[in-house]
Amino acid sequence: MKLLLVGCSVKKTPIELREKLAFDGPKLPAALRELESRYGVEAVVLSTCNRVEMYLARAVDHAMPTADLIGEFLAEFHHVAHDALTPHLYERDSQDAVRHLFRVASSLDSLIIGEGQIAGQVKQAYETAHVHAAAGPILHALFQHAATVAKKVRTQTGISRGHVSVASVAVDYVRQVFDHFDDKTVLVIGAGKMGVLTLRRLRDLKPRRILVANRSPEKAVAVAQECGGQAIAWDQLDDALAKADIVLSTTGAPEPIMTQRRFNEILPKRTHGPIVIFDMAVPRDFDPAIHDGDQALLFNVDDLKQLIDATLKERRKHVAPAEEIIEREVRKFVIEWTRRRNGPIIAKLTQDFESRRRNIVSQLLTKLDGKLDAADKAYVEGAFRLLQNQYLHGPISALAEEAQEPGRHTLLDALRKLFRIED
Amino acid sequence: MLLNPDRIGMACFGASYLLSFLLELAYFFRPHPIFRTAAVVLASAGLFAHLVFLLVQRIPIVSSQGSLLLLALVLAIFCVYGALHHRHLAWGYFVLPVVLFLVAIAAMFPPSEKDPEGIWAALRGERFWGLTHGLLVLAAAVGVSVGFVASVMYLVQVRRLQAKLPPYRGMKMLSLERLESMNRRAILWAFPLLTVGLILGAILQFGRGEVQNAKIVGTVGLWIAFAILMFLRYAIHVRGRQVALWTIVAFAVMLVALLVSHGEAS
Repeated sequence: MKLLLVGCSVKKTPIELREKLAFDGPKLPAALRELESRYGVEAVVLSTCNRVEMYLARAVDHAMPTADLIGEFLAEFHHVAHDALTPHLYERDSQDAVRHLFRVASSLDSLIIGEGQIAGQVKQAYETAHVHAAAGPILHALFQHAATVAKKVRTQTGISRGHVSVASVAVDYVRQVFDHFDDKTVLVIGAGKMGVLTLRRLRDLKPRRILVANRSPEKAVAVAQECGGQAIAWDQLDDALAKADIVLSTTGAPEPIMTQRRFNEILPKRTHGPIVIFDMAVPRDFDPAIHDGDQALLFNVDDLKQLIDATLKERRKHVAPAEEIIEREVRKFVIEWTRRRNGPIIAKLTQDFESRRRNIVSQLLTKLDGKLDAADKAYVEGAFRLLQNQYLHGPISALAEEAQEPGRHTLLDALRKLFRIED
Repeated sequence: MLLNPDRIGMACFGASYLLSFLLELAYFFRPHPIFRTAAVVLASAGLFAHLVFLLVQRIPIVSSQGSLLLLALVLAIFCVYGALHHRHLAWGYFVLPVVLFLVAIAAMFPPSEKDPEGIWAALRGERFWGLTHGLLVLAAAVGVSVGFVASVMYLVQVRRLQAKLPPYRGMKMLSLERLESMNRRAILWAFPLLTVGLILGAILQFGRGEVQNAKIVGTVGLWIAFAILMFLRYAIHVRGRQVALWTIVAFAVMLVALLVSHGEAS
């Protein structure tokens, strides 16, 4: 198996260049066709907003284009100066290319470690190549194994645990408190831009109703129309807080609108469960002392950002176990692939010996016809079979041992030459 | 025979539950699915051995050991069902310690004699009402135990939310709302069962003219703890942490009541 990867990623390449190198729309099938016709290689092209990578493969006996040649192809295809592109490209071959793909699919090479999108993008890249008949047996096996590895890393480590956007973390918290949302009331206070994404995510939970309170009635109506809610008067805020289960506050008020004293007066009016408040305003709208973790849960922007940092820190702890899994899987893939490649050679070698043995034994038994009884014939046949097995044991074992050392193919070539085995 | 049911002892299923709990802990530190799967398999094996033990050894249900082991069995079923139904949630961390605790106490109170006729004979004749009383109180005890587990989980969840820990750090828990509803339902079911069980017990005792003071004090104490819990929840709308704490108190009173009443009975 010959494998080559040439590509560039967000880590080294500026967005202006990545934009030019993107294989969007009809460019991708065209590139796959071009690679096949020019170099006769199997190809999968992974093109995302963070990376462009070309995975090329060929059987051992055939010549593989150099990384430089593929760089030239990339430059020519996208009408970019080759010299401008070269410093940004990286290349990996054989086992390193396998490792790189497994790391990419498992999101260890992503900007946000553990992000879930890349596994789907890798799968999509493979499927596109498959549809356009650009992926052959090597890349089929490689990309299918990469999907398995990504799943293993995701389920056996905590690398993808938690969310890393403010809106998602807010929803995670709401789910820690509430089980269902069809009887819940969301109260939106203010009309700040900070809470737009969070409100959108909260609306996805399908709450029973959304109330919108704003000092300006017109703004309240506008926000309510936008989110399918109901505008309420500003002086009804306390009553709304007594009914609300989830609060999203984004006013531009210079002072907190809800002090602990005012909130404590509202609490006895609440006869149902806890209230979760997301205070997205700066300066803050709610007094932080309101948070008790039981009946009133208050999170401000800094809390949510700290949680994102903590989640990323937590994910980084799982990088080492994930790398261990990847290392194991790279080895497994290469050994498995080498075995698969050795299989036909071993079969041919065995068949060759088998037919020669049969010929010799048959000639011998014909010459000795009448001199041997059935037991003697069986003994002669058994002796020759034993000899054949003993002769073959050495080369087959050596091939199996070589399979444990990825990247070495010398013995296979030697066997082909020594025993005149042709593909 | 490969498996002789007579040789199954409390150590067998106790060890299975303990190993299952240790595997749950291992999963906490290294979330490999094999740990959780092995934990569920071991808990199921323990449950099977536990059931066989109760059927074969004929431990009288009215003894401390019998009732504690039956209670532990129902909780173990709850644990295995929960682990299979909500595979990613941290059931084992909370239910298995209670099961282990009950089995450990049960081991400390062996019955004075085995039930010569077994559980089925108790369903006939005059023992029927005694058994009905026992089963009603036991069902109530299951309710309190489930409420207890839900309350402990609730308090842990509150602690995490109070500290604003990342939702996915450590064990995965049910939401506060779900835990609160689990607690409420368990107590709502348990209270009428306990009340009927107590009335039946009182009628039986006074009918036979054999009044056991400790048993009466224990069970009435449990009923009062329950009544306070119901009053707090429905009359003055106490919620959340306080209800959870009261449920834990009711569980402790229930354990004392079970031990004290059976202690005197034996």
